[in-house]
Amino acid sequence: MLRLSSLVRFVLTILPIVAGLLWVNPVDLWAHDGQGGHAGALRLELPEGKECVKSAEWMRRNHMDFLKHNRDQAVREGIRVKTDSLKNCTTCHTSREKFCDRCHTYTGVAPNCFECHHYPK
Amino acid sequence: MTMATLERRAVLGLAGALAAGVTLAPGMTLLAAPAERTEASAGRRWAMLIDTTQCAANCTACTTACRKENNVPLFGEPSRDIHWIRKVEIRDKDQRRPTVSLPVLCNHCENPPCVHVCPTEASFIRKDGIVLVDEHRCIGCRYCIIACPYKARSLVYHETKRGAESNPDVPIRSKGVVEKCTFCVHRLDNGQEPACVEACKGEGKGAMLFGDLNDPRSEIAKRVHTVATKTMRPDLGLKPRIYYQGL
Ligand code: HEC
Ligand code: HEC
Ligand code: HEC
Repeated sequence: MLRLSSLVRFVLTILPIVAGLLWVNPVDLWAHDGQGGHAGALRLELPEGKECVKSAEWMRRNHMDFLKHNRDQAVREGIRVKTDSLKNCTTCHTSREKFCDRCHTYTGVAPNCFECHHYPK
Repeated sequence: MTMATLERRAVLGLAGALAAGVTLAPGMTLLAAPAERTEASAGRRWAMLIDTTQCAANCTACTTACRKENNVPLFGEPSRDIHWIRKVEIRDKDQRRPTVSLPVLCNHCENPPCVHVCPTEASFIRKDGIVLVDEHRCIGCRYCIIACPYKARSLVYHETKRGAESNPDVPIRSKGVVEKCTFCVHRLDNGQEPACVEACKGEGKGAMLFGDLNDPRSEIAKRVHTVATKTMRPDLGLKPRIYYQGL
């Protein structure tokens, strides 16, 4: 008798929790729709200009190393190449929010560069 | 043999001058058009000569220009404010010598103690002798601030924001990094003089002279070799590259 009542009590406490989880979860997932996260395809603002500083395919994979390499060259050796500077990205990818940040949010990276560096938008 | 080398050097020099742009005055070149690619030259030694007799006590042209060019903020807290260049007054206790006013900035020493103590190699000497902080590597440990006898370095204690009047060509700063005068390295690489020197020539009385000590034809090399100059605390053996005249 004792066993049965505790089982009933157990089921009665678990049920609302499970129901609660089921109810909350879908809402949580829908909230991400279109706002970064992994819902749907990633849509980036098309850049101005015809070609990237390297091929788009290469840049997609290597822009982080490219930028950091240029950074070290510029700061430590004084080797400044106008076309490869961080500033130059802004001439074609005019909006950081709609290009860089959108992909970074999607892929879960948070470069801290723009705490210091200027990106017009 | 010597002649041949000389000629070769002269020819190379000419080609270099043509490639670099217009030579304004010996030792100071201004690029006609911004170069597509620049590199620090190991042959140069940038230095500054400050004529204290021409530095007016109430003039702040250099410090104001520096703040504007490099987005250096003022928090209004004397112990935490960032100074890349500051005006100092030197008084003789016995009043036998007149009081002089002069700017103090990073001395870009040949033997910089700040670089020697840096645990991350964030502080370094560039090939042309400029002492810099690579803010991308700086962890804010402040050893360098303690090591510098000129109090040329500051730690950034507060977050800063870009404003409408900020210079977009120069980064602002993150909280927790150390920074100091860069001799306006971004301007140098673009063929311009440091902002303080330009301002001193304009609004000031032209007390500051900037140039390449390794170029015997440069104005600064000539002056340093003909005029009596002093460096600050030469006894420390750091070989500073800020020379003072009339001190
Ligand atoms: C002359 C204009 C131009 C400049 C300057 C430029 N880009 Fe691009 N970028 C483009 C174009 C055009 C594409 C191709 C877009 C496409 O195919 O969808 C592209 C693509 C990219 C991509 C891949 C985007 C994707 O769809 O996956 C990245 C990442 C990128 N650029 C980063 C940079 C960075 C970082 C810089 C600065 C060093 C820079 N770009 C400078 C024009 C430019
Ligand atoms: C197509 C997606 C995409 C676009 C567009 C993109 N990035 Fe990235 N970025 C990434 C990914 C993914 C990483 C992380 C790579 C890693 O950690 O190995 C990254 C990393 C970086 C890093 C290195 C961060 C660090 O701290 O190591 C920098 C800097 C950077 N991106 C700058 C930019 C800039 C500037 C733009 C816009 C001009 C841009 N990215 C556009 C996907 C993108
Ligand atoms: C603490 C502030 C700070 C942060 C954060 C920072 N930078 Fe810098 N960056 C600087 C300073 C200061 C310079 C030197 C400016 C100069 O000499 O022109 C610089 C110079 C550069 C340069 C060479 C000049 C140019 O515009 O091309 C590149 C490239 C660069 N940084 C890339 C980056 C990247 C990529 C990141 C992020 C991974 C980053 N920076 C984060 C402060 C910062």
